[in-house]
Amino acid sequence: MIPNLKAQSKWRWLIAAYLFLAGLGGGAYVTGVVADFLGGEWAGMARIGIALGFPCVLVGCIFLMADLGTPKNFWRAAMRPNTSWIARGTIIITVFMILGLIHVAFWLWPFKGLAEATGARHFLGVLGTLFAFGTMIYTGVLLGAARPIAFWSTAMLPLLFLVSALSTGIMAVVLVASFAAETHAGAIHSLARIDTVLIILEMFVLVFYLQATHRVPESRASAELLLRGAWAPLFWWGVAILGLIVPLLLDLFGVSSVAGARAAVFAVPASLCGIAGGLFLRQVVLAGGIHAPLRAGRFEVALPIV
Amino acid sequence: MPRYGFVIDLKRCYGCYSCQVACKAANHTPRGIDWARCVPAETGSFPAALRQMVPLICQQCAEPECLKVCPTGATTQDENGIVHVDKDLCMGCKYCIQACPYGARQTVDGWQTYFPDAEGDLDPYEAYAKARWEEKNGYGMATKCDYCMDRVKEGRDPACAEACPAKARYFGDLEDPESEVSILIRRERGFQLNPEFGTDPSCYYLPPR
Repeated sequence: MIPNLKAQSKWRWLIAAYLFLAGLGGGAYVTGVVADFLGGEWAGMARIGIALGFPCVLVGCIFLMADLGTPKNFWRAAMRPNTSWIARGTIIITVFMILGLIHVAFWLWPFKGLAEATGARHFLGVLGTLFAFGTMIYTGVLLGAARPIAFWSTAMLPLLFLVSALSTGIMAVVLVASFAAETHAGAIHSLARIDTVLIILEMFVLVFYLQATHRVPESRASAELLLRGAWAPLFWWGVAILGLIVPLLLDLFGVSSVAGARAAVFAVPASLCGIAGGLFLRQVVLAGGIHAPLRAGRFEVALPIV
Repeated sequence: MPRYGFVIDLKRCYGCYSCQVACKAANHTPRGIDWARCVPAETGSFPAALRQMVPLICQQCAEPECLKVCPTGATTQDENGIVHVDKDLCMGCKYCIQACPYGARQTVDGWQTYFPDAEGDLDPYEAYAKARWEEKNGYGMATKCDYCMDRVKEGRDPACAEACPAKARYFGDLEDPESEVSILIRRERGFQLNPEFGTDPSCYYLPPR
């Protein structure tokens, strides 16, 4: 019997917002680069996606810095990349932000001539996509490196965050595109279709992720906390219904019944719900993190401060 | 080079919390921070239930998880096995707190007085403790037990070991096979906490009766 396993309390909404925005920025950027390769009616999408990458991740980093206990030392975050995932992540995210910023500059005033240099732009896109995937996956690996927290320390978490990041990234692009004049309605329609597949995939990954918690008591307690405990309302209403089922139904309806201009009618609420669900997913995963109990021979004790 | 370690004899500990209080007095830790602590544990159920107090301190692992995850280089390990946090280098990301299997690392945002009902300034003893804490540690960064290295350098035992009235705590050199701690670990089958994490703690426990 293990008494009173308590969830960690050190990382809260600020870190959840950071993980979420890093994922969303990476996902939107990848969407933009893919659209850029497709060209034609996708040109508008490409600009929106690529332009979203840098600012989203930057705002995420500001959230991360706001959580630091001694922010004056933030610049030391990348000093130990040989062992620390925060240090490695800082490098990945910094490179991604620099590439994203350069990429946006291709469409801005002093560099406008560069927009014609398609080869260079595509090369930059491929390079940026590598680091975008690094950013999306790293947010899961970062938590996984905290080994005493079995709920985080699983190979499913980076996959879950990756799928969620791609899905929220696409939805962010769709959301902005719905209000932009230059975008092609057919492209929104196609993105909604891709997003449907991603949402279904995310549902499966989420189920497998929770299923994989059965091995040790602390991660069973984590799953309990999400499914029936204090975080159950946010998990069921925020993640499952608002974040997955509602956007899936709206996307399916929008894709199947109306084509063309009216797709946006469904795409906007679907995207808003799905993006909110992505943030709630990061929060419930963080809030559900429970440390392994101390094992002293036959005795097991919950950590006194977590 | 010695490898400093502790042996904590569970059958001798009766849970008087002297270690916890002695640590506070020696290290001037603020409210909410206890580098040494004593927690009650239970096992089994009636009529075969057992209670046991488990004293906890930093385990000064040979393979510290906190050192691995520290991104700033604030965490370092001395040759004698003691793991330190440099308060001027730590950025307070709290990654080490998540990664430590033993809950050894703690952080506070500021000094909260021990006597919230008292009026006026802090009393001189608490003001002294606050000044000492701010000089050697601080707020926002990770803090941890260092086996009272200042005292050990003066030839004394760590405060918790010196204070234990049950003589349940032994401090010594694990590298030396003839030291008291090494002999106790061999003779009384000393074990480490949560060996599954592969951290190889320098703190050993002797089994309860």
